[in-house]
Amino acid sequence: MTDSTGLPQPTTALPHEAYLTALASLDQVGPARLRWLLSYGSPELVWQLLRAGKVCDPPAQLAVKAEQLNKWVAEANLLNPQELWNKCCALGVGVLALGSAGYPPSLALDLDPPVVLFHLGNPDLISAPSVAIVGTRRATGYGLRVAEELGAGLAQAGVMVVSGLALGIDAAAHAGSLSVGPSGAAVAAVVGAGLDAPCPVRNRKLAQKVAAAGVIFSEVPPYVQAAPWRFPVRNRILAALADVVVVVESAGAGGSMHTVKEALARDIPIMSVPGPIDSRASEGTNRLLSDGAEPCLGVDDILMALGLSNIVRGSPNKRKLEAPLEQRPAPNEAGQRALAAIGWRPVSVEHLGLRSGLEFSQLASTLSWLETHGWIQRTGGWIERCARGD
Amino acid sequence: MLAEVPSATLLGVEGHRVLVEVHVGQGLPGFTVVGLPDASCREARDRVRAAILSSKLKWPDTRITVNLAPTHVRKVGSGLDLAIAIALLGASKQLKAEAFRGLAFFGELGLNGTLRPILGVLPLVDALHGGRVVVPVDNLDEARLVRKDALGVSSLSQLVSVLTNEEAWPNPPLQEHEIAEGGDSCDLAEVQGHPVARRALEVAATGGHHVLMVGPPGSGKTMLAERLPSLLPNLDARGAMDVSRVHSAAGLLRMRNGLLRRPPFRSPHHTASLVALIGGGSTLLRPGEVSLASGGVLFLDELGEFPAAHLDALRQPLESGIIRVARANTNVTLPARFLLVAATNPCPCGIGQWGECRCTPGQIARYGRRLSSPLLDRFDIRLAVDPPEPAMVFASQRSGESSSEVRSRVELARLRASERGVTSNRELRGEALEKFAPISEQGQKLLRSRLESGSLSMRGAQRTRAVALTLRDLEGTGGPITTDDLEGALLLRGEEQQIGVVA
Repeated sequence: MTDSTGLPQPTTALPHEAYLTALASLDQVGPARLRWLLSYGSPELVWQLLRAGKVCDPPAQLAVKAEQLNKWVAEANLLNPQELWNKCCALGVGVLALGSAGYPPSLALDLDPPVVLFHLGNPDLISAPSVAIVGTRRATGYGLRVAEELGAGLAQAGVMVVSGLALGIDAAAHAGSLSVGPSGAAVAAVVGAGLDAPCPVRNRKLAQKVAAAGVIFSEVPPYVQAAPWRFPVRNRILAALADVVVVVESAGAGGSMHTVKEALARDIPIMSVPGPIDSRASEGTNRLLSDGAEPCLGVDDILMALGLSNIVRGSPNKRKLEAPLEQRPAPNEAGQRALAAIGWRPVSVEHLGLRSGLEFSQLASTLSWLETHGWIQRTGGWIERCARGD
Repeated sequence: MLAEVPSATLLGVEGHRVLVEVHVGQGLPGFTVVGLPDASCREARDRVRAAILSSKLKWPDTRITVNLAPTHVRKVGSGLDLAIAIALLGASKQLKAEAFRGLAFFGELGLNGTLRPILGVLPLVDALHGGRVVVPVDNLDEARLVRKDALGVSSLSQLVSVLTNEEAWPNPPLQEHEIAEGGDSCDLAEVQGHPVARRALEVAATGGHHVLMVGPPGSGKTMLAERLPSLLPNLDARGAMDVSRVHSAAGLLRMRNGLLRRPPFRSPHHTASLVALIGGGSTLLRPGEVSLASGGVLFLDELGEFPAAHLDALRQPLESGIIRVARANTNVTLPARFLLVAATNPCPCGIGQWGECRCTPGQIARYGRRLSSPLLDRFDIRLAVDPPEPAMVFASQRSGESSSEVRSRVELARLRASERGVTSNRELRGEALEKFAPISEQGQKLLRSRLESGSLSMRGAQRTRAVALTLRDLEGTGGPITTDDLEGALLLRGEEQQIGVVA
């Protein structure tokens, strides 16, 4: 039996969510295969049929080979749904089946709703409006900063930020959103791995905070080994949960672009953060802009797209975007030379020395000055120019 | 019926005096060697017997006992052959005791009686006090580096004729060895671009600061490292002797060059075994690469590919300048005062351009973990080396300063460091730094702000201070450390974490 939030209660009679979990835990079972399996009847019935080897003739488009079917039969005879269910209970992972009471309405109406949804945290916090902030794992300092600012700004405005708990932009957006504290909106994450280990180790603390202040969803049962194909599949849930998708930084191809495709299929507006045209990390976002995506120049633009701001673009009473008031002291001649040589792309000290033509001691003191005054920042051996001071 | 002849055996890079005693007496014919000889030393029996017979001398058909004293020191190698032969000839009355009194003998015997050169003549000869030494003629130059009156012979029969006054001592002219100037095969002038790395090498050569270079393949890490020895000043007399001694013990001393005056450069491959790197082996305790690099540069290319155990074994020598190799029955102390230059890629794929790397974060994290942070802590200079941009290479055909120009600055700056009673600024720590490296007020402010912002650790600040002092020495104007020096040192120190930061 489950209560309204879908948190499992250990009982003697197994709920049908337990059988759903067991079915979803089978090797290489994704949403499409799970849906086909369920066409045989209730999860419990399918489980029994599978154990008896009576499930056959998969549709051709699912590409299920005979060996795969045999493997499932073997697995079904080995796996104990009760055990799986107990494991879910122990982790505190909730299970929501499509059509059950607590299932998020925005997903229920989706083109391709997940048949079963696992969650950590409180799924009732899912509420419109929500914005997906996505982007590359290999973000530049600029992208990380923007993602964090957007995350914080949206949370302040009461907008839920949805992201994927990956390194880079995802983590920065979550961190920004959480930085507002309890006064801000809830946070949501959709991950492509089982909820026993929802994210890279480096983000584990962040994931705990997200679960505490919001909810983490996954379509994958806990303790199922992570597989690369599950990540693109989860992007559709990410898109489906959002009212607007914002891409902060992305290369020409990648997970973010996949989310954009899913959003397009669902008629969800896409916004893109412009970046330097010679930055690899902004290749995809700039391409989106030239393809007609809305530019995102700040939190206000997103709020406007959500209809939460009555300021019309171009109208005289439009609230100004954060004024690019320069508060940093102007660099001297050598400093300007160095800044010009850095450009808007991270550069090594060695190249900087060559390009600027500055002598070693001058280079050292110039860089030190620029760093102290917030004109540049360093990551590893790289030097990066900062557009704005803190 | 008893004769004794002094000689020596090699352990590590030190010679140990050995007295070869031979007793020829009544009993069943037999030949035994006692006194802890190793296998190659015990084989001396057969070589000595054959050599004596083929030199038309008499083999006593009685009981022969050879004792190598002191008996608790392990005797290694074939260098005692000649001493055994001479003592045996003395004990069997074929040579008078007066004939070889005051002489010590070294050399391996061939079956036909010729004398073959041996390893480590320099430390062996040095271990004996008083008396003259007789060595194989091929080792004569090496022996004369420490003993001008050393004698060289080419065969046992020649030596016997000399000792029986049938012949005079052969006396090849003493060769005076010039210090080979410009002996380094490569020059800093050949390096295109790399303005920061050039300066870094100069600072490393002056202050003895260890250098870590992080960069993609083809960025010139190896090229830069190979040029570092050419910036180091010539070894002084004592340093040259120490270096030559180690190279002699390893059999690497090239005789024609006399004492090694130029700092050595060693670059072991990452598949080198622990013993090859650190030194040891069960009997000879041969000096390893770290000892061969003592007084010069040890270059470890692809640092991340070296097994972690090997790298952590470097920590003791990096700290103390010596390495103690201990085995069940012996232990030796080998010199290991080297300048460590290491190179590594930033990540497994090695593509260094921003945004081009295709390694997963997990791969990069694993790669970074291969190097322990105590080891990384030892590097005062951490350079991000990049291949020069093609446009830059062709734009600036002007070549940089040559090694000799830089070296003259290094020599001057080192003079200043030597006034502090240390060979290099690297060795200054704690109180010595407080005493010798005062910082200007502005500079103290800079360091404080870096410490407060957390971008510099306490230890990092100390090391930065030492590098800044080296920069001050290079400046040559004296006075307390300025902000310029500190900023330069901070730039050379780089970020704490460089490996695995590739975007």
